[in-house]
Amino acid sequence: MSRILQQGGFAWRSGACLPAWQSLSAALARHSECLGLRHQDSQAEPDSPALQLLHSDLRPLQTRLVGLPALPLELSTEFTLQAACGLMSVHGRASGRPQALGVNYLASINAALAWQGTLAAAVGQLRGGAFTDVSLAPAGGALLSIGQYLAGATAADEAEQLLPGQDDALARPPFVSAEGVLFELETLDSQPWRRFWTALQVSDAIAGRAWQQFLLRYARAVAPMPAECLDALARLPLARIQAMAADCGVALVVLRSPAQRYADADYPASAAAPWQMQHGPAAVPGPRQAPATLPLQGIRVLESCRRIQGPLAGHLLTLLGAEVIRLEPPGGDPLRSMPPCADGCSVRFDALNHRKQVIEVDIKSAQGRAQIHALCADADVFLHNWAPGKAAELALDAADLHASQPSLIHAYAGGWGAAQVDAPGTDFTVQAWSGVAARVASASGTRGGTLFTALDVLGGVISAQGICAALLERELHGHGSQLHSSLLGAADLLLDRDSGALATSLLQGVFATADGLLAIDCQTRQQYQALTQVLGAEPDPRHLPQRLADASGEDWLDACQQAGVPASIAHQDLAVLAADPRLAPSLGQRAYRSVQSPWSFT
Amino acid sequence: MSVSVMVPTLLRPLTEGQKKVEAQGETVRQLIDQLDQRYPGIKGRLVHDDQVHRFVNIYVNDDDIRFADGLATVIAAGDRLTVLPAVAGG
Repeated sequence: MSRILQQGGFAWRSGACLPAWQSLSAALARHSECLGLRHQDSQAEPDSPALQLLHSDLRPLQTRLVGLPALPLELSTEFTLQAACGLMSVHGRASGRPQALGVNYLASINAALAWQGTLAAAVGQLRGGAFTDVSLAPAGGALLSIGQYLAGATAADEAEQLLPGQDDALARPPFVSAEGVLFELETLDSQPWRRFWTALQVSDAIAGRAWQQFLLRYARAVAPMPAECLDALARLPLARIQAMAADCGVALVVLRSPAQRYADADYPASAAAPWQMQHGPAAVPGPRQAPATLPLQGIRVLESCRRIQGPLAGHLLTLLGAEVIRLEPPGGDPLRSMPPCADGCSVRFDALNHRKQVIEVDIKSAQGRAQIHALCADADVFLHNWAPGKAAELALDAADLHASQPSLIHAYAGGWGAAQVDAPGTDFTVQAWSGVAARVASASGTRGGTLFTALDVLGGVISAQGICAALLERELHGHGSQLHSSLLGAADLLLDRDSGALATSLLQGVFATADGLLAIDCQTRQQYQALTQVLGAEPDPRHLPQRLADASGEDWLDACQQAGVPASIAHQDLAVLAADPRLAPSLGQRAYRSVQSPWSFT
Repeated sequence: MSVSVMVPTLLRPLTEGQKKVEAQGETVRQLIDQLDQRYPGIKGRLVHDDQVHRFVNIYVNDDDIRFADGLATVIAAGDRLTVLPAVAGG
């Protein structure tokens, strides 16, 4: 077990719990344990900061959670924020209706972001900056998590309009065998897919149509599979399907329960901390320029990452002030051309990468590797998400790069961590293996997890959080390091045995009004009574729809907020969400609606 | 025979900004060769070593040519060829 800051002599003080969002306070505490921070005491005053970080070399650092003016934090819950910020919309695309993920997702994301901002501020202080106060807007964190989907839905040209419930929630992965076992299939190449369906006697034309949907599920959060494919699988026992998949080179991962995951040999270490850090050589980072406005100014990161997890980690580091240089293959990252595009670049790609510089490097050539070594000589962090074993194969592993830059943080944002699973570690295979898919399915009334790339996003946040912790450790103790995090580690944190349970609500739901959907979540008796006052009657879920049909969602929201009832508009269409003035403080405008930094520093 | 080709955004600089162009050919390969004569450089963006580029999907009507005969897939008058950049895993 390695907790990055365990030897650092840090303590922290927790603030008062948010009345309607206690899981966020629990997640902050859980993350502090994972980091190895000693809990000193709790402050009960309602206006106390959410956390304070204490260390003999630091001026006291405090981090506050802030609501948006029209989305007050004291009236935000996991549920209402998932509604307000589009997570229900994206998850709803393939789950039948706008609904919550059924896990403490935004608590985990925002706890990670809160600690990340705090640790970055501490790094900034030690590098000569004057950062003592951090604020984090959880709504901003929530919007960041769907930033790519928001970009796709608001591009000027060829914007995607994908609405909750438009697809059959039962005609998407995971797949089902004759005996009713649920499983994910995964391949990143069309030919194994084609061979597999040929073996199942599905025509090429059908397999090809299924492939297009399957391929795009990462980007679009929908994957309607042709009935011919589902029927062919439903006729065969799992063992037969497994054999065919193995023959054809398609990975198959059966959905497991959280209890099965908790019983894995690698689980205790993964649950103790989502990062594994090993110290590298003793080395003091090079000459420093004091950061002025953002805490990681002067930190240089090299990022060799594809897809979502790694690029999101790099994006977060740019928001904290780091200079991030993306290493892309000659000709550029192929994801740049995924529609919808604006100004010659995929908006989805742009959402995660527009703040970075790009250098094209052929990492497979000796010249390219020499270039990477040369770049590392001036870098603080090297971040990659290559397939397992590739860094060693390319001689670009931590030990190799420490030879060029001893103080480097060599970070790997991987899939499986220490688990031995014979499948690509992607969002959906890890959801299946970790129990996240089963948990989401039981909460959503579907068969499987979410097609929203929930783990890629959380994994990216966790990776960036670990990098900030490792940078802090380096500032204090002067050595490079090797840092691993994974999608599976992120999943284990999300389903944490002690703090992962959902808060019980007295009344929670998404209801139709005369105009638009309204999410309501009464966590306390007081909130429930306030809702009774607003409605003029006991809020019986059977009669609520009828009562709420009397006025628009906006009117009900105003009434709920005035009465102190957690509620929000549950936007179905992300293009409409993008124009919601309540969210405007967290949004920006590029060739699409972009998401601003969730942090501010003073 | 004439086939309409739907051009993705990123290739439109090569087709003078046109979203849809017409081209001739018996197979997808011939059609791409003919397109390349009119719009030089387009072939290099679609084909590599006589295979469809790994990160490009080409559809004849709704059918992915990787699930038919690849570049040898036969086309008929009135067919529609669609080029879509597509990358697995995000």
